[in-house]
Amino acid sequence: MMSVRSFPKRMIVPSLLLAALIIIPFVAPLITAEDPVKIAVRYRLAAPDLAHWLGRDEFGRDRLARVLYGGQVSLTVAFAATTIACIIGTFFGLIGAYFRGPSEFVTSRLSDIVLCFPPILLALLVVTLFGPGAGTLVAVLSVLYFPTFARITFSEALRVTSLDFVEASRALGTPSHRIVLGTILPNIAGPLSVQYSLTAAAAITIESGLSFLGLGVVPPAPSWGQMIRGARQFMNQDPLGIMIPCAALVLTIYAINFFCDRLRDTLDPKGASSSSMDEVSKPLALADAPAIRDPNVVAVISNLRLETARFGTPAAVVEDVSLTLRANQCTALVGESGSGKSLSSLALMGLLPGAIRQASGTLQLRRKSGEVVDLGFLDARTLEDIRGNDIAMIFQEPMTSLNPIHKISDQMIEAILAHRPMSKADARAHAIQLLKRVGMNDAEQRIDSYPDQMSGGMRQRVMIGMALTCEPRLLIADEPTTALDVTIQAEIIELLQSLRQDQGSGLSLLFISHNLGVVADIADRVAVMYSGQIVEEGPADQILRDPHHPYTRALIESMPSSHEELHSTGGDRLPAISGTPPLPSARPSGCTFRDRCPIALPACAEIRPALYPSADGERAVRCLRAPEAPAGLMNHQTEAA
Amino acid sequence: MTAAPLLDVRNLKKSYSIGRSGLFSKRSLKVLHDVSFSVAPGEVLGLVGESGSGKSTIGRAILRLIDSQSDVMRFDGQDLNTISPVRMRSLRKEMQIIFQDPYASLDPRKTIRAVLSEALDAHDLHKGAARQPRLIELIKLVGLDPSFLDRRPHEFSGGQRQRIGIARALAVEPSFIVCDEAVSALDVSIQAQVLNLLADLRAKTGVSLLFISHDLSVVRYISNRVMVLYLGRVMEVGPADKVHFSPKHPYTAALVSAEPSLRRESRRIRLTGDIPSPLALPSGCIFRSRCPYAQPACAETVPPLQTVGDQHQSACLRTDIL
Amino acid sequence: MLAFISRRMAAAAAMLLVIGTIIFSLLIIIPGDPAELLLSTGGGSASPEAIANLRSNMGLDQPVLVQYVSFLYNTARLDFGTSIVDNGSISSVIALRLPRTLEIIVAGTILALLLAIPAGTAAGLRAGGKFDIATSAINALLTSVPGFVLGTLFIYFFAQVLGWLPAGGYVALATNPAQHLQMLILPSLTVGLHLATIVFRMTRASVLEMRGHDWVRTAVAKGLRRKNVVRRHILYNALGPIITVVGLQLGILLGSTVLVEFVYNWPGLSGLLVSAVEQRDYPTVRAVILTVAAIFIGINLVIDILSSLLDPRIRLQ
Repeated sequence: MMSVRSFPKRMIVPSLLLAALIIIPFVAPLITAEDPVKIAVRYRLAAPDLAHWLGRDEFGRDRLARVLYGGQVSLTVAFAATTIACIIGTFFGLIGAYFRGPSEFVTSRLSDIVLCFPPILLALLVVTLFGPGAGTLVAVLSVLYFPTFARITFSEALRVTSLDFVEASRALGTPSHRIVLGTILPNIAGPLSVQYSLTAAAAITIESGLSFLGLGVVPPAPSWGQMIRGARQFMNQDPLGIMIPCAALVLTIYAINFFCDRLRDTLDPKGASSSSMDEVSKPLALADAPAIRDPNVVAVISNLRLETARFGTPAAVVEDVSLTLRANQCTALVGESGSGKSLSSLALMGLLPGAIRQASGTLQLRRKSGEVVDLGFLDARTLEDIRGNDIAMIFQEPMTSLNPIHKISDQMIEAILAHRPMSKADARAHAIQLLKRVGMNDAEQRIDSYPDQMSGGMRQRVMIGMALTCEPRLLIADEPTTALDVTIQAEIIELLQSLRQDQGSGLSLLFISHNLGVVADIADRVAVMYSGQIVEEGPADQILRDPHHPYTRALIESMPSSHEELHSTGGDRLPAISGTPPLPSARPSGCTFRDRCPIALPACAEIRPALYPSADGERAVRCLRAPEAPAGLMNHQTEAA
Repeated sequence: MTAAPLLDVRNLKKSYSIGRSGLFSKRSLKVLHDVSFSVAPGEVLGLVGESGSGKSTIGRAILRLIDSQSDVMRFDGQDLNTISPVRMRSLRKEMQIIFQDPYASLDPRKTIRAVLSEALDAHDLHKGAARQPRLIELIKLVGLDPSFLDRRPHEFSGGQRQRIGIARALAVEPSFIVCDEAVSALDVSIQAQVLNLLADLRAKTGVSLLFISHDLSVVRYISNRVMVLYLGRVMEVGPADKVHFSPKHPYTAALVSAEPSLRRESRRIRLTGDIPSPLALPSGCIFRSRCPYAQPACAETVPPLQTVGDQHQSACLRTDIL
Repeated sequence: MLAFISRRMAAAAAMLLVIGTIIFSLLIIIPGDPAELLLSTGGGSASPEAIANLRSNMGLDQPVLVQYVSFLYNTARLDFGTSIVDNGSISSVIALRLPRTLEIIVAGTILALLLAIPAGTAAGLRAGGKFDIATSAINALLTSVPGFVLGTLFIYFFAQVLGWLPAGGYVALATNPAQHLQMLILPSLTVGLHLATIVFRMTRASVLEMRGHDWVRTAVAKGLRRKNVVRRHILYNALGPIITVVGLQLGILLGSTVLVEFVYNWPGLSGLLVSAVEQRDYPTVRAVILTVAAIFIGINLVIDILSSLLDPRIRLQ
């Protein structure tokens, strides 16, 4: 969001250019003393000289004066009409959106009708009735454009009005006029100013077009359109005659469009800084990964480090993450938002967003053929073969994860055909089988419905069915139940559990969640992430029953469901930890958790703890004060301090 | 509780018309069916339900942010059904709301000072020299630093924004606040902080809360009484611990059992099928299409709320089951 | 689906009726006597006989309601009356000239789509890349050149300087097909480039938006080949918004065609319109504008139906 006080750098050039082009015509008398309408036939089409920099036109009038004064007319007409249209349109739009009812109908219908007329034709219609002239033009252009403003104001204001902060203002009892002017109007000023520039450019085009037809500004008053009209017949002898007004016109419109584009980018930075779809982030450092010997191991992440790839110094968003995923096992990756759990799993799929880069570490996968590959070093084609075939993934938002304009059947069949050569009919039969397997009743009929005809729970079943297409060895489930209601969530968890049990090929499930309760239901092993690092890892029941890391403990303690005896109305408080997780760029020295940690010691600020394994090697903790931490470390540091 | 209720609502109804062509067929979508409840001064009433249960609609209907119909809607002795717009505006000082999405609930263009001042300006409170001390008092009340006053929302984390939203609601010293999924968007460690803050504020100011959430454990912890909604109807209402630990309605029981918990011993009650579309509700008991205990009789009559214990009511014909 | 189409057709018919009514009532609501107004030329007023003549010719001496009903009735029969300049049948002039205008528009639209959709897709997929920066810069410049300026410059370069193509004019296809096509090139290129700037912009933005949707990630995660992801999950989804915007922009396109025809001396509707405006031949102007509005509404009706075929959500709502 743009701060109001600082003028954005990207706006400086277009603003100066636009301001110059608008001001120059109006200071014409300072630039030339010539009269734009004085005829001197003797000098017709005279070439440029010192007194007349741009030469003279077909009536011997000074061309510089005509371009400058012509600009005055074009700009005045355009900006006067746009301003009037903007004020009237915004007024109607705001009333329509805030008070709804009949004014809404008038606003939207009126603009529908006016939008049916090609603007220049409507202008011609009015010129027929009232005759040409600058006044007629201003009137007709304002009538033409005010519905567009009304429409944009209306839809934007409607969007803003439905936002919570407007509802909050209403709930506070702020009077309507203050809400409309103080809250809604400033929030729609962006789109409105973009529309203002667009309309001004369009108005200049129409004004010059009408003058070009001889139906706009009445001669001999100068205007750019008219100058082009006049010079057309002589373009062979005197090409300068058309070039000058054309250049003036194009430059002015360009300056407005340029300004408008930059304004749009500044107000809505989404589109401007987007990355290329093909950007493949290649790992920076090569490392020789130890070969996977154990045939039960499906994938190994070792020492994974992900960094932001843009904007200044790279910050590590994921650091030193190592994880071994085994067949017939569910590993849960747990953490709060921003902990890096989703990024770690996307790295396995080769789906990292363009702004994130794998800086080091290896991602090894044992394919179904038994071949072990490093996912970070594969070409795009091989990755396409692996995705959906060896690794499959289901996502958090079942409502948006399916393409709304293709039938379920088509989306499943294309997934099957991408990896298995078979006929379409066979693929369809296979898809129906998959849907039945994920518990969809009358799959034969429902396979031909569109995603929007299904509930969230059903869509998530479709996603799971689709992921099972090729019997993958690794299934990544990224918060698969977070968007679902609790009763539906229970069904999906049950489904995932049953898949793990009856999958003969030894499916490994990587389950990503922020919800420890769900994790307890499904996971064999748990890895807890905080601020880009795994802070504790081990068998699920051990970790959840007896957490060794203070963060894991705090997570469990923070859940109201862990304290069925506590009641706020009885004066009880939840054992909460203070503070918020640090940003990747502002992590504290030493242990990243220390400034929120209830048991932190001075040493925690100096030593960056490693993941210390327990004696039996079953679990590991990244904490100096955990029982697993080497005893000497702490004592040595405390003495030094 | 013998005191007169602060808020009393009888048979609250809400429907949306979903006109197709706009001219001929106009169908209406009922999202609330005769919901009745009351909130005592200083009480926290929890409102639980899945999506489509109408719980957020109730909060907005009480605050008169949307139109609704009801037989009785009284707040602090005043009839909200007949109140004049001018009286309603001044009554807004007493009833406030905290929203779910900490990113949408603050105007990105306003400083925190402007956000809090808007609340005070609307009711001519703490004007002139009294303004600054009051703003500092408010921001400290929600555990933030007074230096934050001149910053804009984008500089804050979700939890901090939620605190600002709470400060805005508290600015006018209301006697009643609707918390609409106020902690649902927050990470669990932040959620605990905000829940503690709300509990402290309630203890300190005696404000009543209507606490809307889909999270049963959160609602149980914060509320005195809990009301369970399903598709716009009240299924069960009663003291928080009673509803949570010994539910009398099969739907509540299913909800509680479906909730993921670290204690693994809970046995899950399986519900079959999806939540029906509000356009094609089952006859009789609205829950019977998914109820494991449904009988033919459940299709015949809409079960009324029956008393099943002290302050505890349930709308189920099969009182024999639970 | 049928219900959807009939609903849309009814809406289009209603829109036409409203537009007809507005155009009709313009004559009623303007202050003063329309006949007098139309015949007045720069201060000099016309003779009373001429005014009376025009009044009866246009039916202005009848009650308003009678005028309105007969206007609607005649318009529905495609009978636009006679010109007040030469008393010729307006309908037959339009029937003669309309196909020529449509020819330019159709040729220009095909050109625009062929040029802008591939370029916009490529630019959108690699937003921020070299190709995107180059094409977007060219596009920004072209957007700023009004159609008649582009036409004038084309004539100068291609006809005067290079001498490759005729500067303008028209020969019927039947008379000399080769020359007809030669003369069609510049006008349709001018109109097409103008439309292409809009289509390019829209395609790029739409591809960019679709690219970020979750279902694209799903498609990639399924292991689809890149070209299938682009075709089925980005471009196919982007098509709906693209054609909707193109439909709305056709109004501006139809307008710029008027100027382009004028620049190239192409005897389509615009020549008729411009001379009618100059001579203040209101019935002819009215007829041309009604025709154009009807075409515009017709095209948007087709586009509505097309986009409902592309997107089931429009049908299902």
